Amino acid sequence: MKSYIALIKLDLKLALRLRTVIFFNYLFPMIFFFTIGTFIGAKGDAKAATTVVTMSVTLGILGNGLFGAGIRALQEREMNILRRYKVTPITPTPLLVASMVTGFTIFLPYILVLLTLSHFWYQMPWPHHMLSLVAFISLGLIAFRSIGLIIASVANNMQEGTILVQLLYFPMLFMSGATFPIRGPVFSVISKFIPASYLVKGMQSIMLNGTGFFSAWHDSQELWQAAGALLLTMAVGLTVGGKLFRWEKEEKIKGTAKLWVLAVMLPFAVIGLWQILGK
Amino acid sequence: MSTDAVISVQQLRKSYDKLEAVKGIDFQVQAGEVFGILGPNGAGKTSTVEILEGLRPRTGGDAQVLGYDPDRQKQQLKDRIGVCLQATNLPAKIRTQEALDLFASFYSRSVSSETLLKRLQLWDKRAAFYETLSGGQKQRLALALALVNDPQVLFLDEPTTGLDPQIRLEIHGLIEQMKSEGRTVVLTTHYIEEAERLCDRVAIMDEGKIVALGTPRELQQKSRSQSRIQIVTAQALDKAALPQWPDVVDMVLEDDKRSLDVYSSRPARTLFEIMKWLDQQGITLEDVHLKRPTLEDVFVELTGKQLRD
Ligand SMILES: Nc1ncnc2c1ncn2[C@@H]1O[C@H](COP(=O)(O)OP(=O)(O)OP(=O)(O)O)[C@@H](O)[C@H]1O
Ligand SMILES: [Mg+2]
Repeated sequence: MKSYIALIKLDLKLALRLRTVIFFNYLFPMIFFFTIGTFIGAKGDAKAATTVVTMSVTLGILGNGLFGAGIRALQEREMNILRRYKVTPITPTPLLVASMVTGFTIFLPYILVLLTLSHFWYQMPWPHHMLSLVAFISLGLIAFRSIGLIIASVANNMQEGTILVQLLYFPMLFMSGATFPIRGPVFSVISKFIPASYLVKGMQSIMLNGTGFFSAWHDSQELWQAAGALLLTMAVGLTVGGKLFRWEKEEKIKGTAKLWVLAVMLPFAVIGLWQILGK
Repeated sequence: MSTDAVISVQQLRKSYDKLEAVKGIDFQVQAGEVFGILGPNGAGKTSTVEILEGLRPRTGGDAQVLGYDPDRQKQQLKDRIGVCLQATNLPAKIRTQEALDLFASFYSRSVSSETLLKRLQLWDKRAAFYETLSGGQKQRLALALALVNDPQVLFLDEPTTGLDPQIRLEIHGLIEQMKSEGRTVVLTTHYIEEAERLCDRVAIMDEGKIVALGTPRELQQKSRSQSRIQIVTAQALDKAALPQWPDVVDMVLEDDKRSLDVYSSRPARTLFEIMKWLDQQGITLEDVHLKRPTLEDVFVELTGKQLRD
């Protein structure tokens, strides 16, 4: 237990000592928050303000998950830092848990700052179901950090990792509906297969429709579905990321094991198909 | 085979795909001993010690450390050994003391970070970020981390490579201290002086095999190369008049006729005979040197290679 506490404490300190962490977690999404908000006239327009908040949160989660969890783990392996831990009696579990807790602890204040700013700056009403919103966003964060873990575990070096992150980051951002509304049948089909679109959908359902996890079923159905998709991502990500965890850069992963990355897509393939066929 | 061997290795093999890095080696390390593995680049030193640390799986043979099998009882083993890796790093923004406290939390028993920092002369640097430490300070921190669980057995993989001579001496002092505390130390190196100075026994390793094993003295005596006795006399010597001293293998008289090199397999006896003869002849001795073969000579002889320095 003491190793968990020590690792979490240290991870938090290290995160706060890195300017890039602060930049990508707070400043970068915040820049979008103000420029886009001004651009689409979010002031006094609850719907537009929600869009801005959703987008800023999605940006933050994608960055925190793919870069914060994925690239950082990869870096620690590449720099032979994880190797030093490997000589001690600890298992990967405390390392993974500490990284998760830290990512979450750093992200939570950001959500609260965002909501407060939108309330006072854009006059966005407080969400009815604040707890549901925070719970849902937290779930999304953990799900995307799990995706980050998979990237770290399947990429053999920094270069591969960066390519994978970019392959996921931009499509997820643009196809999720976070940046612009999804229109047309092709887009809406594609978006069903993308984890980030469930994040966006869930948030919008809470903020725009005033749904909470414990609202009437026909209202909260969509939210639960989105939460389910993220929960699945999390489960798959943690399993695969834990299974393929590597301490050393010398332990290369076999080409076929990279297909595990597709495993993340599996829940979305199932949910997406189910939705399309169910119509 | 003694029963109090802390480490015992039989027919240990390690392959990476087709490359055979360790080709069936045997050795034992006794409690309290400093055991050196001396060898050039790529000899298989790191592969060997990292198998014993439970870091890499072995391809064949048997290994035991403190009664544990490093492949099957990794956790228990790691809890009780200290390791200084050849290639490793810490996060750039970790402070010296934080690193020690963190690693202390991983073990079932630990020494306080304050004690270790003071002992390794890092107390002044306790709040410094890892990235700001000098090479010698980083290495001292690595040794402090290796001691954080108060281990009985320490594995130090090239702890002084790339450091200044001054800092190397400092590290030697620390290793001697570890020995005096009764810890068993396995040390890899490609510095001959280090092996000679620190190790009770040395295994010379080359291309995955142990080519010689013994105390530094034994290894020197095993050498085919002989000791050289250099004498300088006041008067000129006549080569033809020199007697056949016992155990002499070769003699070289320099052009000045006053410097004589005598190669002998039993230098003490030969030297005594030379002195006696000079005295009888009334020749004045100006200078005399006895040079024994060094571990380096043995190494070059056995491997046909020079060690990198
Ligand atoms: N992870 C690995 N994968 C493939 N080959 C390896 C690996 N580690 C070591 N080798 C190879 O095995 C051989 C022995 O390497 P090892 O690192 O054990 O030697 P060493 O004696 O420690 O050398 P050095 O003095 O350079 O540290 C070398 O040919 C090396 O290239
Ligand atoms: Mg080595």
